Amino acid sequence: MSTILVDNLTGKTSAGSITVTSEGGAATQSLQQGLIKVWASIKGTGTVSTRDSVNQSSVTDHGTGAYSSNFTSAMSNDDFVGSISNTLDDGVNSNGQSSCIENNSTDPEFTTTTARVVTENTAYNNNDSPYVGITVIGDLA
Amino acid sequence: MSTLKADTIQNTSGGAVTLTKQSAAKFWININQITFVVADSFNNSSNTDDGAGLTTCSFVSSMNNSDYNFSANRSGNTGNTNGFLAERTSQTTSSISVSSKFFDTSSISVADTSALCASTHGDLA
Repeated sequence: MSTILVDNLTGKTSAGSITVTSEGGAATQSLQQGLIKVWASIKGTGTVSTRDSVNQSSVTDHGTGAYSSNFTSAMSNDDFVGSISNTLDDGVNSNGQSSCIENNSTDPEFTTTTARVVTENTAYNNNDSPYVGITVIGDLA
Repeated sequence: MSTLKADTIQNTSGGAVTLTKQSAAKFWININQITFVVADSFNNSSNTDDGAGLTTCSFVSSMNNSDYNFSANRSGNTGNTNGFLAERTSQTTSSISVSSKFFDTSSISVADTSALCASTHGDLA
């Protein structure tokens, strides 16, 4: 087994493109395109704050249950994949608590530098969540 | 600081290289189920409209088995008392099928959404 110790990996022909072989050896795939570009664990109650994150510069509190994750390095477009998770803070209620990418008439769901999400309570109204998880996969600029 | 420039990285046997404590997504897609237009994707060959809220996404490179991790989210108009859910209906080595839903405390409906986001993590074939 050989190990290369290095601080940065850059494509030789194209700086943003490194190909890796699949686990089964049957295919190759872009290394960069598979990497998670933003993740954040957000405290969404009280004074909203970030517990830990990668490539998130700040979080914006848009009011009850509505948040934007603001990116340090921008995405190349607003067509990326965003995942959002909520936390069940009432263990006795049988209804689930929804979370989703926010789609309203005034604010964009995603921009190259933000992802806007919503967490809801068991009546499916906007509701602050103690643990908000956000993940973004796509292409960085 | 050192920088390694390479176009392809393999292990010494020509197989998959180990990235210490790192894992990459093997497939992802952002698709508008209403217009059935793909906003962006990775390792996606084609998609099938299986009816309202139902979409099957096929992979270019297959997964090694059907035990991989799959996650999905959808967008929702949050100006009402609906909850929103995107969930797996089936997964094979070459595709995933996703159901997009909205619900309230008494009913649930399968319906298209403007942004269905899905991704997989696991081993490629």
